[in-house]
Amino acid sequence: MAGSRLEKIGTIYSRASGLMQSGASRWEDRPLWYDLYEAFPPKEEPRYDRPAPNLKLRQIFYQEDKIRALFHKHNKNIGAVNLLQKEKKTLTQRFIDHYSIVEKKYENMEEPQKIYDEALELLKREQDTRNEIIEITSEISDGSQVGESKGEPLKINIGDIFK
Amino acid sequence: MNLLKSIQSFKFQLRNIKIHNCSFSTALQTDHLVSVDAEKQTNNDILKHPDYFQVHNLFTVKDLFENRVHYGHKEGSLDERMLPYIYGSRLGHVIFDLDKTAEYLRRALNIAAHIAYKDGIILFLLRGAQNSHLVENTASECGEFAHTRFWRGGIFTNSTKQFGTVTRLPDLCIFLNTMNDVLLQHIAVRDAAKMRIASIGIVDSNCNPNLITYPVPGNDDSPVSIKLYCDLFKKAILRGKAKRKEHLEASNSNEKVE
Repeated sequence: MAGSRLEKIGTIYSRASGLMQSGASRWEDRPLWYDLYEAFPPKEEPRYDRPAPNLKLRQIFYQEDKIRALFHKHNKNIGAVNLLQKEKKTLTQRFIDHYSIVEKKYENMEEPQKIYDEALELLKREQDTRNEIIEITSEISDGSQVGESKGEPLKINIGDIFK
Repeated sequence: MNLLKSIQSFKFQLRNIKIHNCSFSTALQTDHLVSVDAEKQTNNDILKHPDYFQVHNLFTVKDLFENRVHYGHKEGSLDERMLPYIYGSRLGHVIFDLDKTAEYLRRALNIAAHIAYKDGIILFLLRGAQNSHLVENTASECGEFAHTRFWRGGIFTNSTKQFGTVTRLPDLCIFLNTMNDVLLQHIAVRDAAKMRIASIGIVDSNCNPNLITYPVPGNDDSPVSIKLYCDLFKKAILRGKAKRKEHLEASNSNEKVE
């Protein structure tokens, strides 16, 4: 069977049609995909020497990344996150929610440190109601810059431990 | 291993015989020119339809997202030819634009269904032991072929010698990853282009999409993503085959009436 094995020249379609044009192969013996290629051509020609487009890789950032960075800067040990669970919001996401609410309340008049403290306070209160005691302790362990009160009492009921 | 190979080549031969029979029988039916014309007409109708096998409803963009198709490799291993398919880089990790992936995937599924409708041989290819069993099962479930082991050079280019007989090569290669085990492109990508075989390939951010006829940008490493692609291609191929069976039965019953 006639064929051109020069895959670096043209495309599979151009090579197949060239063979038919020159009479090296018959139209009846065309490859099975030939009609499909004509009906549904690929978006880009599958040429070996198709150059890379001159595009820049965009960096993805969101508005709330600043808040996220602030939170993670002061809280290094906030535990592992299960990426597969979709029902519950992550701790960071909850902090971002509180932060944006507080920020909106002050209408950008207050300095970030105050908003941060207030949002953290709201987050801690929320955790108290949810009884997420362990997360609280780990969460503020590295918050030396913010001046976290280390004397926050752990709400552990000894009776619960031996249940 | 050898037994597997010999079974494989035997199947190829079986297909050969079937094909020869088919052409023989059509050569005999020269007096049925009218029915042949009608068949051509239906073929044209099928090709004019933008999505004859309704492959667009096989998946949604959300399915792609949930099956982690959008994750690329790290920025450092990026192949610049992949840039048009990429949404951006999130803290050093390349993220695919799933709207584009969906479009390319639908095109690819359409081609796979059409090839199956035309009774073409489809070969699934993948390197890497982790997903090879899944791919081989998928291929056998839809009655097609798979090659997920070490690629001996010349399976396509020197097939007559390797299988000891004239061999019908596949009509469509579906690459579920286009990379070798290491960092090189799968030899079959080049060989398929050499032998004028159309190819569909899942290309990750470190792959070269140029020689693939119908590239699909997306994650080719996660087992869930590979499972999704396998399911989709299986469904598309089975749809093509079902339509073929339906049309053959219809034309057979028409001939009986005549």
